[in-house]
Amino acid sequence: MLDAAPSRSFDPKDYLRLQYMPHFMCPGCGHGIALHALLAAVHDCGIAKDDLAVVCGIGCSGRVGGYIDANTFHTTHGRPLAFATGLKLARPDLTVVVVTGDGDCLAIGGNHLIHAARRNLDLTCLMLNNEVYGMTGGQASPTTAATRFTSTTQSGAIEPTFDACALAAAAGASFVGREVTRQAPALKTLIARALRHPGFSFVEVMSDCTEIYGRKNDLGEAPEMILSQKADMRPDSHRDATDQPFRPHALPTGVFVERDLPEYGARLRAHAAAIRKEAGR
Amino acid sequence: MRPLPNDDFAPAPWPVTTGMNILVVGVGGQGVLMISKAIALMAQRRGFAVKQSEVHGMAKRGGIVFSHVRFAEEVWSPTIAKGEADMLVALEWAEALRWLDHLRPGRGVFIADTRQIVPPFACRSRKAGAASAYARETPAEIVGRHADGCALDATGIATALGDARAANTVLLGRLSVWLDYPVAEWHEVIDAIVPKGTREINRKAFDAGRAWTAPAPDEDDAAAPAVAAPMPDLHISVAIDPAWCKGCTICVKLCPERCLAMEGPVAVVATPAACTGCRVCEWLCPDFAVTVKNEGVPA
Ligand code: SF4
Ligand code: SF4
Repeated sequence: MLDAAPSRSFDPKDYLRLQYMPHFMCPGCGHGIALHALLAAVHDCGIAKDDLAVVCGIGCSGRVGGYIDANTFHTTHGRPLAFATGLKLARPDLTVVVVTGDGDCLAIGGNHLIHAARRNLDLTCLMLNNEVYGMTGGQASPTTAATRFTSTTQSGAIEPTFDACALAAAAGASFVGREVTRQAPALKTLIARALRHPGFSFVEVMSDCTEIYGRKNDLGEAPEMILSQKADMRPDSHRDATDQPFRPHALPTGVFVERDLPEYGARLRAHAAAIRKEAGR
Repeated sequence: MRPLPNDDFAPAPWPVTTGMNILVVGVGGQGVLMISKAIALMAQRRGFAVKQSEVHGMAKRGGIVFSHVRFAEEVWSPTIAKGEADMLVALEWAEALRWLDHLRPGRGVFIADTRQIVPPFACRSRKAGAASAYARETPAEIVGRHADGCALDATGIATALGDARAANTVLLGRLSVWLDYPVAEWHEVIDAIVPKGTREINRKAFDAGRAWTAPAPDEDDAAAPAVAAPMPDLHISVAIDPAWCKGCTICVKLCPERCLAMEGPVAVVATPAACTGCRVCEWLCPDFAVTVKNEGVPA
């Protein structure tokens, strides 16, 4: 199924619940671009809509799944990975994608993330990182950069941030990557690779919150924000490039981890079968 | 020092046994220096003094590379002056034309690959299928009129043999028709300078170049470089659905051709004819409001 070549050209409208469009997100919100890239990747991988399950948490990112014309599951705050784990174990035939946000995934659901990564169940986790809790009024999240203003950091954030990719990699995820929404075609390719990867794949999407975060921090309108992504990133392929010293804080993008580790679902089924056999059942 | 053949004398019969000035030109990555090395090595084996000088510094993939090879009983200057090259070996068509004036008038031999590598600055318009400012001269206009020699699709020949990178060796094989030393000796020279794994293909390419014959005149046109590379018939269109557009202006500000504009709260297509179908707007619209149709080019 995954390797079937796409039979015709991609039209996102084939994958959207048209009755709910246009979606609720603010003008210029990067989550819409991420959704587009996800749909294109699903199309590229030739996954039928009935074979796709999208599990979302709470927040702006949590609303993304509802627009996808597939099996979608809007769950509790921080717990989409837990719901997805149950779903994938019960229905290993489904391609299960988790769409979550920086607050959902790293704060409320931080524990679920590290243990999902550790188990290496075949899930694809898309973390849309816009550095803020947008839906609840713009509170600081674990990825809010230092000096940024939010409704809970009125004089500028001072906490260090999480590097979500490093966290997922350290916890044992077998595929870890990051891309910015500005590079939507590259993002699509990255998501497609994550979808094809057997095991826990973690993809961090650098997204823009234009209305809440961008406005409060004077980051410009949507085009300025998305253009600045390009100046802020450093593709993995340029890791040793000579211009690196001039952009010391530039964000690495690309695939950081891709390793062959035993997949949890297959292990669990084999384990259960062995025990049943031993018990003579 | 014995002087090199000079224009004032009657044309000497090929091959010249007293010495030769050979200019090898092309663009980065084609193997200009490998050809010059082969010629230099061959000349050395034949007991000539050889001087070779080159410019390749800026040429990492795509920039100009040229190399002067001079050999005679004794060689003083390492460079070849305008109008004093006995042979011009060009791995790229526009480079062949650029260096044409270095050939000895009326007597120089011209050996060129007809493949075009269109440099980015020759692309005046980003629109797919637009004519470039690439040289318009065809091989038929050059060979036999301004210079003796041949123009062949060496890249095509090398591709047919299995590796387009061996095009330079095809031209070396062609050159060996004039620099007529035993084929076995040429093979030894090639073996000495190419990586071990590519000896086989390079020998084959050399033999193919040496055995090349000019196509019949009516086929000649097919070998001529096309003035504009054939492009698929494109059907480009861009449309914005005002019902879904939220007026974020991303598409307006990021379209490289400035095709789109704001009209009140929503974006509209202002100059549809300028659209190249690059899909930047379609990919970056967060609201799925832009649809680009670009048939003929993969999405
Ligand atoms: S496809 Fe879109 S961004 Fe590209 S040239 Fe056309 S209107 Fe502009
Ligand atoms: S990017 Fe989309 S939503 Fe934004 S102005 Fe253009 S068409 Fe409208």
